[in-house]
Amino acid sequence: MSTLEIKDLYASVETKEGRKQILKGATLTVKSGETHAIMGPNGSGKSTLAYTLAGHPKYFVDSGQALLDGEDILKMTADERAKAGLFLAMQYPVEVPGVSMTNFLRTAKTEVDGKAPAIRTWTKDLQDAMKNLRMDKKFASRSVNEGFSGGEKKRAEVLQLELLKPKFAIMDETDSGLDVDALRIVSEGVNRAKANTGLGIMLITHYTRILKYIKPDIVHVFAGGKFVKTGGPELADELEETGYDQYLPEGATESAMA
Amino acid sequence: MAEQEVNIPVADPNDPYAMPAAMPSSADNQTRSFEVDDFKVPTRKQEDWRYTPLERISEFFDVFEPSGETKVTVSNIDGTPVDASQVVRSVVERGEAPSGTVMKPNDRVSAVEWNSGGKSVVVSVSGELSQPVLVDVEGHGADLDSLHLVLQVADRTHGDIVVRHQGLARLAEGVEIVVGRDAHVSTTFVQEWDRASKHVGNQRIHVGEGSSLRHAVVTLGGDIVRLRMDQDFGGPQSELNMLGIYFAEAGQHLEHRTMVVHNFADCKSRVVYKGALDGKDAHSTWVGNALIQPTAPNTDSYELNRNLVLTPGPVADSEPNLEIENGNIIGAGHASSVGHFDDEELFYLQSRGITESDARKLVVRGFFADLIEQIGVPSIAEHLMNVIDRRLARGESADMQAVLEDK
Repeated sequence: MSTLEIKDLYASVETKEGRKQILKGATLTVKSGETHAIMGPNGSGKSTLAYTLAGHPKYFVDSGQALLDGEDILKMTADERAKAGLFLAMQYPVEVPGVSMTNFLRTAKTEVDGKAPAIRTWTKDLQDAMKNLRMDKKFASRSVNEGFSGGEKKRAEVLQLELLKPKFAIMDETDSGLDVDALRIVSEGVNRAKANTGLGIMLITHYTRILKYIKPDIVHVFAGGKFVKTGGPELADELEETGYDQYLPEGATESAMA
Repeated sequence: MAEQEVNIPVADPNDPYAMPAAMPSSADNQTRSFEVDDFKVPTRKQEDWRYTPLERISEFFDVFEPSGETKVTVSNIDGTPVDASQVVRSVVERGEAPSGTVMKPNDRVSAVEWNSGGKSVVVSVSGELSQPVLVDVEGHGADLDSLHLVLQVADRTHGDIVVRHQGLARLAEGVEIVVGRDAHVSTTFVQEWDRASKHVGNQRIHVGEGSSLRHAVVTLGGDIVRLRMDQDFGGPQSELNMLGIYFAEAGQHLEHRTMVVHNFADCKSRVVYKGALDGKDAHSTWVGNALIQPTAPNTDSYELNRNLVLTPGPVADSEPNLEIENGNIIGAGHASSVGHFDDEELFYLQSRGITESDARKLVVRGFFADLIEQIGVPSIAEHLMNVIDRRLARGESADMQAVLEDK
């Protein structure tokens, strides 16, 4: 049983106009086996929360902590956070030309586990995971994310989730850009990972569509850089009805659902 | 029907810019001669020499007595003897065909090379080669030497030739590549010189009608390597594919100049050079010239150069030059860049548990891997990846610290 405690987190992003504070006191506790849906309007800071936790160099922690079983991951480098058991499934996975998926996955697995995987079981695990995600075998020999369609990139993210077996996964808008079939396949992968390892999940999304496939235990509304409301699965249905407008700051002109 | 009078516009020599299409091409103006004195001694003010550290190669500017310390051996790539019915090595007088038949020297150093030493090594290949031919050029000392090498490819030949340079040398080298008709071949030149070696080379390449040549250059070693490569076609529907890879480390100057001339219709050319630079005063120069003459409609040409700067301190010059004298072409594109590591790529790899230094190595490896695979000679590709892996492993300590401290 593991716990991820985000405590009063303030963080800024480097922009052309200078530093801009986005996270303003985010607090959340996620335990193994729990699925938290984090919903909110555009620009509320959901992705900033994800990238700050994962250690992207563009984001700066101003104050606060993120304790993974008592260890503050915010003091670690990005690779140390991954080794500690954190995984970020990105909204826009990055292409790395010339580095094959096979080489990348084996290197990552070796680093995360601290030892190289046994060749025979590794090959089988990889093949099974790819088959489950309906990924063609030739993906393994292609460069990381290079020339992948949007849906293929998302499957590749879930493939890594299944193989690296983290304690906690942040899924940043994994549902965006997926058609119905791909959404189901990707969701099945996330559910399979959870069933196999009992990981805790933070599922960041705009829409309730993915929640039909990945059932959340707890639903949060994230707005203005912090968690503003927490409830059960019924909160998602309520958001579907009423939208995010009531959570927008005073004087906001742009509709959240735009 | 009455004949129509056709007016061909004539350029006004007093105002050449009034009619740019009628201007003589700059490439046409360049001197071509076997005589050293037809060329001025290079200075940084001459366009062709502006990037070169001339003081380090001044010994190549006047005719010298070659030391003969450079040994050339010809075998199959696996070390076995060549099939004498397909591969013949001979030595001829420098002025005896096929030596000296592919254009004339085009600068001072190539004229000096031509006039320093009296013999040429000719490697003639024909038929369907069962495995790549290896021409091993080994330097055995730092005394000034010259080598004139002719690769003669008969009509309808299919095969690969690898020329490997290694050892300690100070070499003026001339290479002529003569590809006959309807041949499909590759020539790969690998420079793995000792760190103190100097190599000033000039290649003159002729691609025959209906033929395709894949020409690869991989420069990893040496103190200074400067290669100029000029090419033309022998007829329509020919293809040239030039690949280049270089990895410059502290203090090294690696310079590659390609000159692709489209002089016939329906020909295709690609020039793709990629380099990495690592350490203080690592210096690379790529100049890609492409000339599309009025006689070359339906030309399809493209050239690209990418430079990855791994640490603070290197200098990468990258200069594509296109001269297009024919409006009826398929394409003539170019791209050129000098950049650092992509933060997003590094973060992606790190977010999967891969350390920053390993992530950098993976990215550099990936930067070269595509191109090395395209050389098409598996044993050479594997060897080159190993060399690059070793280079990357070596750079990990002091240089990598410099990168981190600079942030």
